Amino acid sequence: MRNVADSPAEYERKVSTEEVSDQAKVYAARMRLQNALDQADALDAIREIAGNLIGTEEVGVFKVDKKLSKLWLYWSLGIDPNKHAVLEVHREPKLKQVLKGKAVFRPRMPKGNLLTTDDPVSALVPILVNGNPVAVIVLFRLFPHKPGIEMVDREICEVLSNCAGRAVEPYHALTQAKLEHES
Amino acid sequence: MPKKVLLVDDSATMLMMEEMILKQRTDYECVTAKDGLDAISRAVVEAPDLVLMDVVMPRMNGFEACKRMRMEASLSGVPIILVTSRGEEEYVETGFQSGCNDYITKPINGSELVTLLQSYLGQ
Repeated sequence: MRNVADSPAEYERKVSTEEVSDQAKVYAARMRLQNALDQADALDAIREIAGNLIGTEEVGVFKVDKKLSKLWLYWSLGIDPNKHAVLEVHREPKLKQVLKGKAVFRPRMPKGNLLTTDDPVSALVPILVNGNPVAVIVLFRLFPHKPGIEMVDREICEVLSNCAGRAVEPYHALTQAKLEHES
Repeated sequence: MPKKVLLVDDSATMLMMEEMILKQRTDYECVTAKDGLDAISRAVVEAPDLVLMDVVMPRMNGFEACKRMRMEASLSGVPIILVTSRGEEEYVETGFQSGCNDYITKPINGSELVTLLQSYLGQ
């Protein structure tokens, strides 16, 4: 980010603006998801966040079965849905990690892909409801001018993980899950 | 008097983010519109000093809105910056042909955005 011609003050100003920018992205993502009206709007929020804040227009949301053995494609954007209809957890070691509740990101200089597909996968993000994974957001290819997943993208993915439950669970199910979790 | 920037996007997320960055890092006043058609009517009423506009929007996209703004006498000289997810030469060329002054690619880098706007509006 630093240009050799930047004075120390200019460099400091840029860094400070970057911090504001990152905070704005995370805040906007959280607000958009928390204010989603229904499932369709929450899925639209995921599309907006992926395209505008992270930098990908290739996204899949996969629902997890109760045994945590299979994921099936629930909603997608910019990918071939037939090619990614089902993900078998026993064939995808990274998914096991994700189903423990932690997102997995593709390193900038990867030796392999995150899933056994020829489409590059940039991130696997669990959607958690009361700490339990109910779905996984797969972020595929990033925009060509985007070099890789950055720190702010990881923070946005954390927001997705914690606030996108409405995209896959109807409101009454979320409320019920919350009540069960609290009791 | 603060400079006025018209932010145009159908995404509430983008508008919120852009507005937050500009409010915290500049003295510009922000007004918003949710698509190209809305942008033209807002621009005529608000007389912004600069328009920052998304390309892909319902009802009227950014290229078309840009062309129409250039046909409005009061808006013909207003700097228009297009926000695009694609930086390919052909796509950018279409933007310039529609009359835009500049473009910025998504995801927006806050520092780049502020520097770009200041190059047109000053600090």
